[in-house]
Amino acid sequence: MKLTQKVKIKNDLGLHTRPATVIVKLLQAFNSHVTFTYRGDTINARSIMGILMLAAKKNCQIKIMADGDDADLVIEELAKAFESKFGEDL
Amino acid sequence: MLLIEHFYENYGKELGLELLAGKAGLNKRIRKPEVHRPGLSLTGYKKNLVTARVLIFGKTELEYLREMDAEIRRERLESILTESTPVVMITKRFRSPKELKVICEKNGIPLFRADLTATTLLSRITFILLEEFSPTTTMHGTLVEVFGVGVLIQGESSVGKSEAALGLIERGHRLISDDVVKVKKKEGAHLVGYGPDLTRHLMEIRGIGIINVAHLYGAVCVRPDKGLDIVVKLEEWDDRHFYDRVGLEEKFCDILGMSVPFHTLPVKPGRDVVLLIETIALNHRLKEMGYHSAKEFNSKLLDTISKRQNKRKKNEAYAKSED
Repeated sequence: MKLTQKVKIKNDLGLHTRPATVIVKLLQAFNSHVTFTYRGDTINARSIMGILMLAAKKNCQIKIMADGDDADLVIEELAKAFESKFGEDL
Repeated sequence: MLLIEHFYENYGKELGLELLAGKAGLNKRIRKPEVHRPGLSLTGYKKNLVTARVLIFGKTELEYLREMDAEIRRERLESILTESTPVVMITKRFRSPKELKVICEKNGIPLFRADLTATTLLSRITFILLEEFSPTTTMHGTLVEVFGVGVLIQGESSVGKSEAALGLIERGHRLISDDVVKVKKKEGAHLVGYGPDLTRHLMEIRGIGIINVAHLYGAVCVRPDKGLDIVVKLEEWDDRHFYDRVGLEEKFCDILGMSVPFHTLPVKPGRDVVLLIETIALNHRLKEMGYHSAKEFNSKLLDTISKRQNKRKKNEAYAKSED
């Protein structure tokens, strides 16, 4: 199953090293192939370097694409993580 | 497509650009990688006029405009400077005719003045636009230069791409980019890989973290970009899979419409991936030089077999004649 969803970055510092680590750690529990698309660049979401390369700032949108048997769960968990600002500036 | 604002930011200094009018048009896009000197169009001949090109006014154009009556000058300029014109440039710091400024301001066309002569500016901008407009893609993998061959190491996360690259660097090969590689098709004929500016020459190694290869191993171990010659895919060893044992059949993969030699390399404890990648690269060089080990051996083998067969036939014929 292949799903896409757009999410917004809500934490002040954007997608820096800590959120990238959170995302990669979160994905370890799933099997789906997950990619992020931002400003025309599509990267593998399991790669820290890939996420960091995007240098995505606050309030911008990222397109998440998940492909695999647990795609729906992956997207749900990722959306939650983005929504909760990765546990930052609460 | 290229935003004029980005063009100005990235190349403004290099070309010595100064914005004279039409600031409102900076958010317009250049839609065609073409540059044009209006020359003939200024005489009123407008057949085959493409307005979506970057216009360059050199000395000839400006002198010609100066000799005209103000009214005709305005009319002719208005006919070639439409809203689809992305940007206008004046060379060698010449003064802009008043009408040109007014029309550019009115139609929202950025008007720049450059330091360079028309010929130089024309070739520089053509080159820049061709670079910017060439098709690009982002790939997951690690690009290294091994014995002069650009090798893209691909594979699932945690199969050991970065570790293999680190091993290669340690043996004196060079890193171009780890994990994320941007690939550009240049002149429609060859592929060039490079790293994104931000993560250039950085590597992420499980259990260590992010390291800077250029700082750790020195400038000799890195390169900004490199042609992409072969793709090696690392895979967990699968006992049920039949791996290439001879190398007679060559596989290719498609990147931006170009076919690139492709190798699958199974990984398991005891197999020295670094050495294997070095061998693949060397074998690729040998093939480029016209020597294909597997094919060469096969033709030798066929030769020997046919010789033996001939010998046997001869012996049989001899035996028959003896009877």
